[in-house]
Amino acid sequence: MSSSYSNYTNSPCAACKFLRRKCTSDCVFAPYFPPEEPKKFANVHRIFGASNVSKILQEVEPHQREDAVNSLAYEAEARLRDPVYGCVGAISVLQRQVLGLQRELEETNADIMRYASCLGGETTSVYGARRG
Amino acid sequence: MSQIKTIHNPIGSLERFLDLLLISLIVYMTLKGGTSGACAACKYQRRRCAADCPLAPYFPAEQPKLFQNVHRLFGVRSIVKILENLDELQRPEAMKSIIFQSYVRDRNPVHGCLGITQQLQYMIWVAEEELKAVNSQLQLYRSGQNHPMMIHEIGEKQEDLDLGMGLPVNNNNQGNNTIPFFSPVSETQQQQPHMSYCSDQVNNHDYNPIPDSCKEVLNNHNTSLAWGQNQFPYNHHNYGFINQNEHCSETKNNNSVMAIQSQLVNLQMASNQQEEEVDDQNYDEIHQFLEIIDESQSFTETKEVYASSSGESLKEPIDEIGEKELRRAATCFSLTSVN
Repeated sequence: MSSSYSNYTNSPCAACKFLRRKCTSDCVFAPYFPPEEPKKFANVHRIFGASNVSKILQEVEPHQREDAVNSLAYEAEARLRDPVYGCVGAISVLQRQVLGLQRELEETNADIMRYASCLGGETTSVYGARRG
Repeated sequence: MSQIKTIHNPIGSLERFLDLLLISLIVYMTLKGGTSGACAACKYQRRRCAADCPLAPYFPAEQPKLFQNVHRLFGVRSIVKILENLDELQRPEAMKSIIFQSYVRDRNPVHGCLGITQQLQYMIWVAEEELKAVNSQLQLYRSGQNHPMMIHEIGEKQEDLDLGMGLPVNNNNQGNNTIPFFSPVSETQQQQPHMSYCSDQVNNHDYNPIPDSCKEVLNNHNTSLAWGQNQFPYNHHNYGFINQNEHCSETKNNNSVMAIQSQLVNLQMASNQQEEEVDDQNYDEIHQFLEIIDESQSFTETKEVYASSSGESLKEPIDEIGEKELRRAATCFSLTSVN
């Protein structure tokens, strides 16, 4: 029996444990909030609220719900750690990295162009030397 | 050679400036309470908008969709709680990020901001690989100066590349190039249908949380995610290295010059394949929007507050967040200071 369907066992899912309610067989949270990860639901509930999460899950396809929950858990934890920017701060940091790498690439490419232009002269001189 | 285009062009800068001006105007109007009557939040909740309504500065009545997105994701109580715990100067910044996060979630209900994060992480990986290859080539050129006979060989290879002849590249599917995968992505996303938004939704003047130039990247974000998942087959228990697609396989050529050149060709081919499905504007537009976020920080004079209150905490999301989701990210790159 899959551990994700904890409502079939004695252990309710993390959501129902947190909400102190009976975990039924059709609990929408049970497959995605196992009892071993209580913090996951606690964070999501604290930032987004159980009813919002439930509505979001019902709006997406069943095969997408796990990813939706994972992304919500990520965003919730990011918002708890950084109440001002949340996960948008991480996006900003990554964006800066991309810009930095782009700059470095441009500089390196410019160096290569310089060497390549030198090569054009060198190659000609090598050919000239060989023919000579 | 670089597949990541610069956006430092005069027209782009002007557009960015105008977008910044527009955003600043909207923020200024909302902060100064430039609108009379009930705010969008109170209108949506059908209640009287008090003079000290905490949400009124951030949700003008003319943009009801802004609040609807936020309400759908966070809820009023959560927003108010977040704002209460922040300083006066931090609240506009927090609301901007919340509005953006809600907007992205509305556009992509499955992945939200995590999808953008994954995309950026992939772009970083591609750029780093390209930089490695280019640096190797540069080393060869430099060493070629010390060994003149090599110059001729390098020049011949460069000419071949310039002529588009390329080098013998092993495109065998058996290639085992692996790329780091920093965030978990479900296998099921490979079957995710493309979700695109109609232009009339994007152009709805009641719904304009971000500049028009950034809308297309978010519009393409869904399709690029579907592509992105095809590049990242997912194993729930494996957050490490996975096999790359067939176009990025390693060459088996022993010649160092040819190996490096073919690496470059492979990277270019991989990037070109991406560009077939990912609009170039993705990177430009995300960058423009985030430039606006960064520049608006200085506009609202919250730099010091941001640096003191969030500079360190920003490191935490990367280093510690998501034991399962971001552990690899923390080990694979280091944070730069925000200011």
